[in-house]
Amino acid sequence: MNAWLIMVGAGVITFGLRFSFFYLYDKADFPVWFRRSLHYVPAAVLAAIVLPGLAIRNDAINFTDNPRLLAGIIAAIVAWRTGSALATMIVGMASLWLIQFWL
Amino acid sequence: MTSARDEFRAGVYALSPALIGNIPFGLIAGVAGTIAGLTPIETIMSSILIFSGVGQLIVYQLFGNGSPAPVILLAALVVGLRLVMYSAVLAPYFGHLNMRWKILLAYLTTDQGFAASTGHFKKSEEPQHRAWFHLAGGLTQWVSWQIAVAIGAVLGAQVPPSWSLDFVVPLTFLAMLIPAIKDRGTAVAATVAGGVALAAMGLPFRLNLITAALLGIAAGYFFDRHNNK
Repeated sequence: MNAWLIMVGAGVITFGLRFSFFYLYDKADFPVWFRRSLHYVPAAVLAAIVLPGLAIRNDAINFTDNPRLLAGIIAAIVAWRTGSALATMIVGMASLWLIQFWL
Repeated sequence: MTSARDEFRAGVYALSPALIGNIPFGLIAGVAGTIAGLTPIETIMSSILIFSGVGQLIVYQLFGNGSPAPVILLAALVVGLRLVMYSAVLAPYFGHLNMRWKILLAYLTTDQGFAASTGHFKKSEEPQHRAWFHLAGGLTQWVSWQIAVAIGAVLGAQVPPSWSLDFVVPLTFLAMLIPAIKDRGTAVAATVAGGVALAAMGLPFRLNLITAALLGIAAGYFFDRHNNK
């Protein structure tokens, strides 16, 4: 039940954002700070999700004995050098399997 | 003079190349839904409700790790903010349409669809069939997205946990994060957000995510403002 409430809520919010100015057209405008802030949203939100996902194991920050962090660093280098999402995923998954297999 | 049918066809053609990236992304979103503990039916229904790759991945990830509903909804709001911008840019083109059309066109607006439609509308002089272009692009993405999510949701349920397939989700975010860091301001935003997310991991209700994102955005914004004046 809770799952359905969350999914419906997220759906309503996402639709509301898409529909906002179709409805408000001629009734509202953006403040400049809002327009500028959008530039930083992807980098900030994604970093806030990715770093804990890689560095936290079993509710503790783990920089030393952590296959996911190591595989994530390798994948980040691939993403940076190639710009290919597909290559990032393949190398990232392969790295994790290899590290888990060897260690 | 172009007809509604010409515009519809042009919309399908314009968005077809985007399927190359969309279909694998949809498969991952479907897998992510099952990893989060949703049944394939729930994953597909939520995909119809939300219809946003990044939005769905965030919601699934946070739902799967037990985040409370307000945090999940706030995260969906933050990652969806760009859609407000799309809405504002597209609204003048659709101002003459009735509410039913507007609801449909808004629901079908995607990142690539927004880019294709605004590019197309700037070139074309004939406003009366614009809606058909946007509708066609949106439907092309909607149908392919939902099929890919459904396949991913069904397949994801078959994969044993020992494959660590859940790691695909942070990798997807990582593959989006790296190109999102395109200048010093966004690098500051990412560094602050990542650091705060780790430092504040003790906060209750996973508030570290929202706190980190907002502080990161503010840090990037003020860094650039300070350095450009």
